[in-house]
Order: sequence, then C-alpha cells, then structure tokens
Amino acid sequence: MEERNLSKALDIIARLINGEEISRDEKDTKSLYEDYTTNAEIYDITNSICKKLNLSLYEYEYSLYASAGENNRVFGYSNDELKKEIGVKLNRELFLCYFIIYNVVTWFYNDTASYTFNEYIKIEDLIHCVDSSLAGVMGGLSVVVQNEVEENSFKMIALLWEDLPVISNEETNARAARGSKYGFVKMTLNFLLKQGLLIESEGRYYPKKRLKALARNYFEEYKGRLYEIMEETGNATYQQNQSK
Amino acid sequence: MSQEYTLIRDIVSGHNERMHNIKKYYPFFKLSEVSFGQYKDGRYEMLDMGYILMAVLRFFIEENNFREKLVSYKEYADFMHEVLVRDFAVSLEKEEEKELVSYIFDKIKNDGKPFSYTYFDPEDKKKKTIRTKVIENKIKDDNVMYSISADAVAFYLDTKEMKEESNITVAQLLLSKMISTRNFKGGIEVIKRINNEVGKLIHQKNEILNVISYDVFTGIRMYEEFMDHTVKWFDEEQKLFKKNKELVNKALKSCESDMGYYAVMEEIYHLESELNKVIHKHSELLSACIALQEKTDEIIVRSKLGRIRSSLDFRKMLSELIKADDADKLQYYIQPLLKLAVKKTFSLTLLDNMLTYKPDDSEDAQKVQENEYDEDFRYPDEIEEERIFDNCSVLLELLFEMLMEQESFDLISYNAYLTEKLGSKCLLSADYYSFIVHLCQKNSYDIEETLKKPDTFLEDIICRNFENHQSRFEKYKGLKFEIQYMGNMTEQNHKNDNIIRIGKYEISNLICRKIT
Repeated sequence: MEERNLSKALDIIARLINGEEISRDEKDTKSLYEDYTTNAEIYDITNSICKKLNLSLYEYEYSLYASAGENNRVFGYSNDELKKEIGVKLNRELFLCYFIIYNVVTWFYNDTASYTFNEYIKIEDLIHCVDSSLAGVMGGLSVVVQNEVEENSFKMIALLWEDLPVISNEETNARAARGSKYGFVKMTLNFLLKQGLLIESEGRYYPKKRLKALARNYFEEYKGRLYEIMEETGNATYQQNQSK
Repeated sequence: MSQEYTLIRDIVSGHNERMHNIKKYYPFFKLSEVSFGQYKDGRYEMLDMGYILMAVLRFFIEENNFREKLVSYKEYADFMHEVLVRDFAVSLEKEEEKELVSYIFDKIKNDGKPFSYTYFDPEDKKKKTIRTKVIENKIKDDNVMYSISADAVAFYLDTKEMKEESNITVAQLLLSKMISTRNFKGGIEVIKRINNEVGKLIHQKNEILNVISYDVFTGIRMYEEFMDHTVKWFDEEQKLFKKNKELVNKALKSCESDMGYYAVMEEIYHLESELNKVIHKHSELLSACIALQEKTDEIIVRSKLGRIRSSLDFRKMLSELIKADDADKLQYYIQPLLKLAVKKTFSLTLLDNMLTYKPDDSEDAQKVQENEYDEDFRYPDEIEEERIFDNCSVLLELLFEMLMEQESFDLISYNAYLTEKLGSKCLLSADYYSFIVHLCQKNSYDIEETLKKPDTFLEDIICRNFENHQSRFEKYKGLKFEIQYMGNMTEQNHKNDNIIRIGKYEISNLICRKIT
C-alpha cells in the first residue's frame, strides 16, 4: 500500500465525516473524486475504512455521500441530540417530525426505483400530505384519551397533530415553532435544510442530490434489514395479541 | 373501400402523434383559464394570464437562449414587476406584489407538477397521459435557477411562424435570399432565429436525457423523434451554412469595389460574426447528438438491469408501519438520511453537578429529639396480652352467666353454651384452652375473697373486669363455686366418656358447681 494513496483515502473520509460533499463538479474535491473513481487502491482503502466505521458510502451523479445508517453509536444521533437539533422537547414531537420527514420522502419518491413528478414541495402541500397520511389513524380517535395511548403509537402522533391549529393565533408571520401545524412543518423543513437534504427558494423546497442519492441507494441496499425490522414489529404485535 | 381504409388508418395511426404535437399548446390554454376573479376578492381581475405567460416565455427565451444564462427567481420577479406596472398599470405594496408574483409563478409552474392530460390511444386501446412543462428548474451553486422548456420554446415560435420540418434549413434559405438582395439587417434577424432554433434543439436534447432517466419508454420515443427531425437534416444544414458563409465572404470582398456594399459594411461584418457563432453552435449540437446516442444506449442497458432488481415501496412501508403502530421504527428510515453526527453533546447540567459535587467527610449523626415518642405505640406482647385479657373476660362472663342460671354443669354444657353464643370456632382458640388451664389452677373460687386478694392470673382478670365493667359484673360479686375434675388423662381413661374431643385436641371433663 502506498502512503500517498492511504493519505488520499483518509482525506476523502475526513471530508465526508466533516459533512463535505466529494463531487466532480466542486473545484476543491474534484481531484479527490477522480482519485476515488480511478485509483483502485484509494477506492478499496476508502471503502474498507468506511465499512469498519459502520458508514455506508454512495456514489450518485458524480458525487460521494456517506450515511451513518441505523444504530450507529458513533456517527448516528441519539433521540436527545435530534430533539435539540430540530427544536422539540418530547419524544412524541420527535416522532411527529420523523413522520413529516417521511412524508417529504414520499412526496418526491414512490419507491427507490422511481420518483414522482413533483419538483418541489411547499409547506401547505406538506400539511395536506401529513393530513391525508394520518387520515386512517385519525378515524378512530374520537374515543381515545391521550393518557391511554403509548408515546410511540401513531395514534399519539395523530392526536398531537390534530390538536395543533393550522396557524397559531399569536403568529402574524408564521414562523418555525411547535405551536401550529405550519410552524411544526416549517421547523422540520428548516432542519432538512440544515442537513443539506433540501434547498429553499421563495417558500418552495427542492430536493438536493444528497436526498436523491440516499433515498435511492441506502434503502435499496438495506431493504432486507428494513423488512426484518418490520417483521420484528409484526411478531411483537402478534405476541401481544396472543397474550391478550 | 380503399378510401375508407385510408381514412380509418389516418384517424387511428396518426392520433397518437397528433396528441403529442399539440401538447406544447396545452399549458397556454390551461393557464388562460386561470381567472384572477377568485384571487384576493377579484382585485386583479384585469390581469390576463395568457398575456403574462407569453411575456414570461419571451423573457426566458431572451435570457436562456440569447444570453445563454439561467434565470433566478429574483430576475423573474423583477421582470414581472415591470410587466405589472407597464402593461397593467398595477402599482402595489412590496409585500402584496411579492405575493401576486409568487401566485403567478406557481400557476405557470402548475404548483410544481407537469401539465398533464389524458387521451385515448386507439392503437393500444387504452388511455395515456401526456406531460409537459413550461419552466424547469436546476440547482446550480446551491441556488435554484430556472429555464424554459423545449416545448415552451416550440410553442412560442409556433405562435408566429409556420412549422417546417427543419426550421434551420428554411431559415438558411431565407438568409441566402436576404444576402443576395443585400438585406443584411434582415439577415442578422434570420441568423438570430437560426441561433434560437439551434438552442431549442440543444435544450430538447437535455430534456430527453432527463425524461429517459425516469421513464425509459417515453424517453426512447422522444429520442427517436428527435433524431428523425434533426440528424437527418444536419448534412443539408451544414451545406447551407457553407453556402451562406461563401455568400457573406463574397459580399465582404465586394465592399472594396462596390460602394453599395461599402455603406452597409458594418452590417455585413455583424452578420458574419453572428453566422460564425451559429455555425460553431450548430457543430456543438452535432457532437451533443452523438453523445446523446451513447448515453441513451447506456441508460437502456441500466434500465434493463434495473427491472430485474426489486425496489422498496415507501408508501407501502408507511402503511405497514402505521399498521404495526410503532412510530419509533420511523427512525430507521429517517436517520440514514441525516449527516454524520460529529458534534457530541454532554449535558451542561451534568457537568455542573460534577463540578459542584462535594462528598461528605464523615457521616452525620442522626439527631434524636428527647421527649418525642409515640404515645400510642404498643409492643407486640402488649397487643397479645390485651387479646388474651379480652377473650378470657368474655369466657369468664359466660361462665358466670351459666353459674347464675344453673346450680351445676359440666364442661360439655359449657362448651355448647359457648358455641351457641360465640360460634363453633371459639373452641379452637388457644385462649379457650389457656382459660380452662387457668381456671383449673384452683378448686374453688369466692369472688368476694378474690377481689380482696387476687392470687392467680385468672383472679387478676376477674378483679380488672370488676373494676372496668363494674355495672356488668356487680351481680356476680357474691358468687362462689367449685370445680370438680371428672378424670385424669391416662391411657385407661382414653376411651372414657369423660374425655372431650375437640378437633385434634382432647380435654378431660369437669363440673362447675355453685356453692351456696
């Protein structure tokens, strides 16, 4: 192994860990991208170190992206860290943010192989999208009392969402806050902007290459694992029902 | 018969193509229906969406095709401001204008979705959907930039010109005529149109690449049409460019001798430079078409492979998650999308607690306050004693009652009396046996004597009862009685009738007799 190649590979990894994008179209990283794609040793070292660090590496439209995947204790976020990043306090609020983000993904993608014809999403569209996604859950909510529902239940998300006004009375210019649907969605979208997944122009949120790269590649690669997780959930529910 | 066949074939086989050809007009008519009557209580009813669309298209053609640059939202907003003020005399507050301009933009972008319409394809016998856009967007240097679509350019050009198979060829023929007739100014305009047409084709090529990346079948159809309408004309177009170039060169040479040419020399030079530009651009288009061919082949191969792979359906997954009712699992879908978390957090409160924590040097003694005790506290043996006293008192009172009523009785009668008064379980109580044992400690009892000087445990109980419940026990004060034992607990007496069996226990009978 040449020391020069090791140094290049480490440079690539260091930049990816620092949240930079290794792209052919960026002046700073163009040579690194080319090294990665043309030099087999650099490619191998980079991939093998990433694997050891439990990172997934994806190449999309001449750029490299890293993902921490699930359950990564070093590079993943804890619930508390995420709550702080987004600006929420309770677990159920975090779950609602997850749900909103998932709806952003489904707005742009039907599945990992094909995307929708939507170019951008506006806050109003996203509110409508969340409303319809939760419509089925909200159907049986009239008799549910908040205390009786577990925090990680979709019923809790639906109750929280249902209780929010579309726009808070106190807000003249709707801002990112937990007091209204508009504010909640804006807060989540701000987080996605910070994460480099979306870009905003005059109230329209466009997906960036990073979102496209990960939505297509990560889920494609780990779909087996995701089905397994779903299976675990399914079994747990079955066992609960059995015990009842 | 053959006429009828031709008619039907014309209707059926040509329908699909016709529907594709009219798609560029669809957004205009769709947008023309947009009425400003509903918007802001009809304050802007005088605005005409058809006119606005045409103005915006011309603006985008100017920026994208002539100046070869993308348009930012701000540039669009500035242009719209001019249109509103100049053509509709609408002068608004900044915020209100911003809102109106954004509303118009969303309409032109069809809220971010392509304009689509469905038609029936008689050949495939099914309904198909056609999609088209007016404005497209690209992310460049972290900014969203906009450009006009090829369909929109084609639509704009069609509104004023007749469509020919190759606009470039037609325009070049026109250019030749203009050069021959010394109309150089007109020639420059024609070259601009050729330039525009070449730009439109380059744009169309990019759009095909875009469509083919998500819809291979539509993309291939577009690609084939594009190649039919462009590549086959390239040879002829190149020839005409060469011819026109020669004509311009000839005109430049003539300037030296012919005064008529000399007067318009500047125009001829301008024409020449424009022609050189368009020839260069045209050869670029040619190489782009070859690159398109290569890329299309690659995408087709990839798509064939892709069809073998299965994909993860996001919507189906969401409904599965909702069904399982575990929102926590959403994290497996969201966290992988996030950047790596390199900033590790440590709660400041914990840090504060660690810094201010002072371990004790020695354990503090617990202070006991004097004169502080629970007055009602009773030890377990006190509770026991109290119970024994209460039970013995009850048994004693019932014994006295029997003695008052009968001269003498045995233990069996006494037991029967107790069972009647207290229930059968009272004979199983340990206090009953201890009472009998205490009773048998003396052969005779004189209550008056007892009250004066109590000797035994039972006599003590008698005294306390006389003290505590004087009114109830007063009548037994003069009572005297003796106890006679009926037998001993020996082997021989085991079968004797004087032995009473209560459950597992055995007890010898005795007689209580009142002494008068």
